[in-house]
Amino acid sequence: MADPRLMDRAFHLLMRSIVQSGNALHYAELGRALGVTVEDGRQLLHAVLEAYPIGWLHPETDYIASFPPLNNLPTQHRVTVGGQQKWFAQCGFEATSVTWLFPGMMIKVEAPCLDCGDPMVIEMRDGQFVTVNPPGIVGHLNYGFGPSRGRPPFL
Amino acid sequence: MNLFRSEEHARRWALFNPQSEEGFISLPDLAGFFATESRHHMLEPDYLSAWFPRRGAERRAYLERIGKATPFWMGTPAPS
Repeated sequence: MADPRLMDRAFHLLMRSIVQSGNALHYAELGRALGVTVEDGRQLLHAVLEAYPIGWLHPETDYIASFPPLNNLPTQHRVTVGGQQKWFAQCGFEATSVTWLFPGMMIKVEAPCLDCGDPMVIEMRDGQFVTVNPPGIVGHLNYGFGPSRGRPPFL
Repeated sequence: MNLFRSEEHARRWALFNPQSEEGFISLPDLAGFFATESRHHMLEPDYLSAWFPRRGAERRAYLERIGKATPFWMGTPAPS
């Protein structure tokens, strides 16, 4: 297992990068930022995602697909902050926690309904709902949590 | 883990799992579920080592408070 302090630093850099730009660092950039080799950066990325298994790499690659609550790979959950739409939430549930990454700011999540394609919009600031449109929006867990929930990329 | 315009819309979704009737959660409950203490510290330098490990217990406690302390929500066993 990698040095826990180094893993903390790596996690922090990855989270900061996806919050700031909408994209998480590549492992080569991560390695450079931490002063380690590219290969050590790659191994560190794997170690971080083993310790943070709610995120994942795209299958058969070293590319971050999901780093919740945000996603490197576009999803239907578009996130706008400060008038800029450059983020995606991992899923509808995680969309409600993006607010904690942008303290004091209005977060807008827009997603099409998977039944009808009509838009849904929620706006939150510091964990509080400001807008819910339509008002009847609900969350739905299609498979139970845990090992039998199915393949993570298809949440 | 999706949002829908209503429960009726979710049930009409082509990929709706008929065994997921207990999978509905109101938006306020959902926001609370994803607002437990550790979530407030995701930007802190020690989040991975100090805060993320607390997440599981926080989630279980929250699910108990909102009456969702069921295997479906608390974690299903691995398929045998």
